[in-house]
Amino acid sequence: MKPLSVTLPAIGLRVMWTYIATGLAIFLLMLLVGISMRGSQAGWWTIEPGTFYSLLSLHGIGMLTAMVVAGLGTLWYLVSRETGLDARVAYLAYAFFVAGVACVIVSIVPGHYGALWSMLYPLPFTGTYWPTWATGAWLVGTALVMLGFMIWCGQILGALLARYGGLGGVLAVDYVLHNRAFAKLDHEPPPPQIFAAAITAIDGLIAGTAGLTVGVALIVRWLDPTVAIDPLWAKNLTYLFGHTFANLTMYMAVAGIYVGLPICTRRAYHTSVPLVLAWWGTLLFVIIAYFHHLYMDFVQAESLKLVGELASFLAAIPVVVITVYGAVLLVHRSGMRWTLGSMFLFTGLIGWVVGGAAAVLDSTIPFNVDLHNTLWVPAHFHTYLLEGVVLFTLGWVFVNLEQRAGASSGALIRWLAGLGVFGGGALFVLGFYIAGAAGVPRRYAVEPPPGPYLAGIATVGAILVLVGLLVVAYEALRLARLPRSEVAP
Amino acid sequence: MSSGAVFGVFIVIAVIAIVVIVFLGNYRLRDTLPQASVTARGYVIRRYWLGLTLVVAIAAFITTLSYLPYSQPRIQARHYFVVARQFSFGLPKVVPLGTPIVFDVTSADVNHGFGIYTPSGNVFAQVQAMPDYVNHLQVVFTVAGHYSVRCLEYCGIAHAAMQGGFEVR
Repeated sequence: MKPLSVTLPAIGLRVMWTYIATGLAIFLLMLLVGISMRGSQAGWWTIEPGTFYSLLSLHGIGMLTAMVVAGLGTLWYLVSRETGLDARVAYLAYAFFVAGVACVIVSIVPGHYGALWSMLYPLPFTGTYWPTWATGAWLVGTALVMLGFMIWCGQILGALLARYGGLGGVLAVDYVLHNRAFAKLDHEPPPPQIFAAAITAIDGLIAGTAGLTVGVALIVRWLDPTVAIDPLWAKNLTYLFGHTFANLTMYMAVAGIYVGLPICTRRAYHTSVPLVLAWWGTLLFVIIAYFHHLYMDFVQAESLKLVGELASFLAAIPVVVITVYGAVLLVHRSGMRWTLGSMFLFTGLIGWVVGGAAAVLDSTIPFNVDLHNTLWVPAHFHTYLLEGVVLFTLGWVFVNLEQRAGASSGALIRWLAGLGVFGGGALFVLGFYIAGAAGVPRRYAVEPPPGPYLAGIATVGAILVLVGLLVVAYEALRLARLPRSEVAP
Repeated sequence: MSSGAVFGVFIVIAVIAIVVIVFLGNYRLRDTLPQASVTARGYVIRRYWLGLTLVVAIAAFITTLSYLPYSQPRIQARHYFVVARQFSFGLPKVVPLGTPIVFDVTSADVNHGFGIYTPSGNVFAQVQAMPDYVNHLQVVFTVAGHYSVRCLEYCGIAHAAMQGGFEVR
């Protein structure tokens, strides 16, 4: 099946770089915020609790928005290579993101909002230490981010439905169920990265609807304090949105593996029946795994907790059996050269598996009793995001820069960047893991022992990450300034 | 399994994952093979890998069914009403050792976490304290001593200072 129409590559690339540059810039700023908080928990300096929780609110929504924006940019470009996309819609979504971030910053900097990004009703209304208008600015800001996300999802899903002849075509139903007839007709299923885009769009629309529903309810409550909301209903919708929004960042970034690693290895990553089945599973499991956030709400039906646990277990199988396994096969004995691009893409697989393993352990009901809302939780998602999503994003950026310049980085730069980002990152998350296993609660401005000692180790790790990223940024700028080359590096 | 043992399991999984992925990525990397021959062998191994992961996932799921901490409270158990509010807990001073008891946990304002820590500082049990709902946490204390209680759900500016405790004897 030939593309109906394809967006000009230059336009697709412009959209992609706008999104990625914005995402990585926000990421770097939020890293500084994170270091300031971890250093404060270590006792290196003092941030009073009100400011700490305002910074934590900013850090949470900022990091996720950064990763989402970078991932959406990559996917938009990859989808635009398959079918026509109107760049104005991408910039409209981008404008919503920017407006949302601006509202969030206003709520934090002058407003001192501090109910965190995934606040549970009756927060952010009861016992607050910030003015009411800051709550409104936060709610409107996060709603704008959600709307931007849903505009992107709507555009991508609409374009894919048109390109592949409906949902069955996008999800390659005939390819799986009638494989021989499909092949005889000379039809081709969508390439792997299209599944990443489609599942992001479908699950994103479901999660965004949940998030906007609770968001609108909270805005109504903000306007009319007599309105009452059911706390369990709000908690379910908050986690349905929050878990899915965070989890999808990985499935967005994995498109870099599908397209980037084949460039590095000079091999092909084809769509196969197991890959499609894996994405079908992911489509479902990502949405229903959120019930594991409500294990400790005993009033919630027990069956839903079991659904959450089973979905959490099963969600790991497509990752380790299909995507990571397939990526390792792609590299195995391929003759691939280690460049910053290939190194980041490959090491990101490790972060994904390790962070995922920690998540699966936490979602195991008997273990969750000990780990729920301890520092084990930020341990797993920082592994997943910093050592997975960020590395995939950087890998994709460098594969593009190296290909464009026909050059790559020297061994010293690779070692410095690798040791800083991966080694420093490992030290950083280890502080969280040990503290979590010791029962240190998460979201404490001042932690009980051994929290402060481990926060010190983690802060050293985070500073190493920052140093590594500065090397990476220098190298990215150097490669970007080289003249365009037609020769592969 | 204690959280220390879970940490041990995690480290073992992490080390195995790192070693296997790094090894397979680097092993004879320059001694290239056609992609078709790599995938032909790789897809055979993948069938076993899929079978193993499915068996582990389903076995783990079935095993955990016998460890659900949400069973209905025993009628004969003694009940203690716990009310959490920004930023304190309404708790009993003493609870009995060696007999089933039920904490009936709720909140007077926002969501809190009712986290019980053993005298040695490990998490013993926990449940959410929610406004408009009562969660029933059934436990049996087998070690006497002072148990501290910490809030395990973010609840506001003094969240980290929201503590309490009781004696078990």
